[in-house]
Order: sequence, then structure tokens, then C-alpha cells
Amino acid sequence: MTAATQTPGSWRRILGTLTLAVLLEQLPWSGLALALRPDFVLVGVLFWTLHQPARISFGAAFFLGLMADFQDGAVFGQHAIAYVAGVYLVLFLRLRLLQFDPLRQAAQLFPILLTVQLLVLLIGWLAVNPPTGLAMLLPVLSSTVLWYLIALFVRLWHGKGMQDRA
Amino acid sequence: MAMPGQLMFARRLGPTARLLIWLLAGASCVAVDARYHALDGLRSGFSLVLQPARAIMRTPFDIAAELGGFFVRHRLLQKERDALLTERARLLVDVNTAQELVRENTELRTLLQLQSRPGQRVIHAALLYRGHDWFAQRITLDQGGGAGLRRGLPVVDASGLVGQVSRVYPGSSEVMLVSSPQQLTPVLVERTGQRGLAAGNGHSRMELRYMPAQTDIRPGDRLLTSGIDRVYPAGIPVARVSRVSRSQSSPYLRVESLPLAGLDRSRAVLVLIADPQVTRP
Repeated sequence: MTAATQTPGSWRRILGTLTLAVLLEQLPWSGLALALRPDFVLVGVLFWTLHQPARISFGAAFFLGLMADFQDGAVFGQHAIAYVAGVYLVLFLRLRLLQFDPLRQAAQLFPILLTVQLLVLLIGWLAVNPPTGLAMLLPVLSSTVLWYLIALFVRLWHGKGMQDRA
Repeated sequence: MAMPGQLMFARRLGPTARLLIWLLAGASCVAVDARYHALDGLRSGFSLVLQPARAIMRTPFDIAAELGGFFVRHRLLQKERDALLTERARLLVDVNTAQELVRENTELRTLLQLQSRPGQRVIHAALLYRGHDWFAQRITLDQGGGAGLRRGLPVVDASGLVGQVSRVYPGSSEVMLVSSPQQLTPVLVERTGQRGLAAGNGHSRMELRYMPAQTDIRPGDRLLTSGIDRVYPAGIPVARVSRVSRSQSSPYLRVESLPLAGLDRSRAVLVLIADPQVTRP
């Protein structure tokens, strides 16, 4: 289902979607919407790691993780380490993940996203102070849903759509 | 360690080795930042890049709010105007009394040869961004070092103390809210004058710490800043006591209070700048 072709438009698409993810996080989220906000940047990085591992992997994840740390006013490295670990898990399960339909793929991504968030929690706990509750696990659910929607969109765009036209 | 199905060239490092390298980089980042605070330049860089993006992403919401305000009904404006006129009359009476008091106070202070209170300047700032509040509650303001802000300045809104400036960038700054877990605020109970220390608990509430069990305090009491820390000016409203309970195991009372400032709601805040030469002991 992946369009893993080395087209010149590919870089543009990767950078475009990642920029969009960063901009979405700059919206003035507050209250419940903030608590439930999916981690757009993490989902974007993991998505491109799955589909274009030669281009987006550890380095990009680390840099975008540092940016997430800046956004939350957290210690530098907290999200960076977690994102890098997420990229590793996706690379490890890559061929397996590519075989599933969107729903099952999202279900497989759930434990990975959960691991990432638990790492953020653990590092924050060790480096700063105990977290103020377990509300920080809520974005894992919304990120999983976001992954499902994106995977569904990509499948309709590349797979089924092309079959209909052919 | 062999990776099944890994699309890597044999000459490149395996994912596990790359993971370990990046984890090492991450761990050193955490250590350098948490222990030595040596990465403030990187933070300023991110703030320079992201601040325009935040301002732009905020614009549609601001315009929507302005448009909403434009269509307020005429009747509502009239009602508001009447209410404001009444309040103005009442406030004018208060101002007269206050002027009288200021005069009297100056005279008494000269008599006592006390230092007069530090002159204060305020800077208007607007809320630019909120991050996740998993470990500490912070907001980002749209004014920074360029406007004369520095670390440690108190931030207030119309109804009370919001927090303290914790990091300053060229065009924006971060404020640690009073409800944040590490944030301590020296307060006094308005009714009795009893001093205490209020700490945030991370859930938009504060608790008054180390109050002996026989303290006279009850729900509804207002807490004001006491001013003994030379950070906050005295007399800024901080919180209202919501619950007082006694615990069997501890010699202290458990006093919960709700911050008076609109920590989640207020969009415009004021940063108080006192003249440094006066506040220095």
C-alpha cells in the first residue's frame, strides 16, 4: 500500500506533512482539547519512518523531539529519547506493520505510542519531579485514532483509488 | 543483533547501534539541561522560530473573537454602560478615600523615616501558547526580554496573581503558574493576618502548607501575598480557601484553596516590574 517510490515530490510531501504537524501543534489549544490533542508530530515521524525509512528516521525524530520539549517547557531530551525509541520500534516491526490493513495497523501502533508516552513520563519523573496525574496517557488514544484515519486515507488514495481508475 | 526484514545496507550501522547512539545523545541532553542549564541558547532558537508560527496560528481565533464582539447587541452595551457609570461613581468615592490615605501614609512614613514602597511599572502581555501541563503548569506570553522582562517578575491579571516569569526569550517568555507543583507563594490570610506558604498541586488548585491545627482559618478566607519574599508586592489576591480538614496523622491542617486569577481563562495579563535598586536588600 505504500508508494515507496523515489520521486522528487517525495521530499516535498514529507517536509510538507511534518511542517503541517508542527503548525497544528502551535494552534492555541486549551482545556480538554489540549488534554486530548494527538501528538501530530510523533504520528508524522512514525508514519514516514514506516514508509520512507531511508529519509526520515532517528535524526529527524530526535530534532522534532527537542522541539516538543521546548513546546511543553520540559527538560531537553525528554521527548527526543522517547521519539527515537518509537522510531526504533517501528523499524523493528516495519515489514510486519506494512502487511496489515489500517485498523490492525493502528492496533499494532497503540503499544508503540504507549511505550513512547511512558518513556516521556519516566524520563520526566527521573529528571524533574513526579507527574501530576495519568492524564498524559490520553493523547496515546487520540494518536492511535489519528494513525487509523491517516492509514485509511493513504489506502483510499493509493490502493483502492488506483484500482478503481485502472 | 540481526534484524529480520531490515532494509539496511550492510555497510551502514544497524538500527540498534543507531538507537544507542541517539539515546546517548538524548541522555546527555537531559543531563546538561537539568543539571547545568546549558541549553538556553537552543531554547531561544526554538522560540525565535516558533513564535511567529504561534502568532500566525493564533490570528484566526483572535479575528473570530473580534467579529463575535462586533455583533454584541446594542441593548447589552447600554446595560453595560449603565453598570459601568454606577461603578465609576462608586470608584471615584474610593479614589478620594485612597488619596486621603496615601497622603496620610506618606506623612506617617516620613515621620517614621521608612523607605517608601518601590515604584512600579506594568507591562501588558497576552497569552500566546499553552503546552501540556503534565509536570508543571506554564504559559507562554508574547512579550520577552525586548520589553524589559526578566526572570522572577510577578505576573497578575485583573483578579489576582497568575504566576512568575520563569524563562525569558527575546520576543516571548514563559510563566510558571501559581498552581504549578514546584511553585511556592508566601501568603497571609486576609482576615487574621496569619502568614503561610501556598503551594500549587498541579490540578489548578493550591494548598496552604504547615498551618498548625489550632489556626483560625475557614472556607471563604482570602489569601493575599505577604510581600516578605521581596518577589511579589504585598497585597495581591492569590486564592480563596475552599476546604479545611484535619488529618489524624499530621500536626498540620489540610487547607485547599482555589486560585483567584483566571489561570485557564485570562488572555491578557500584566507583568509587574519593580525598580531593582529599591527591591534589593
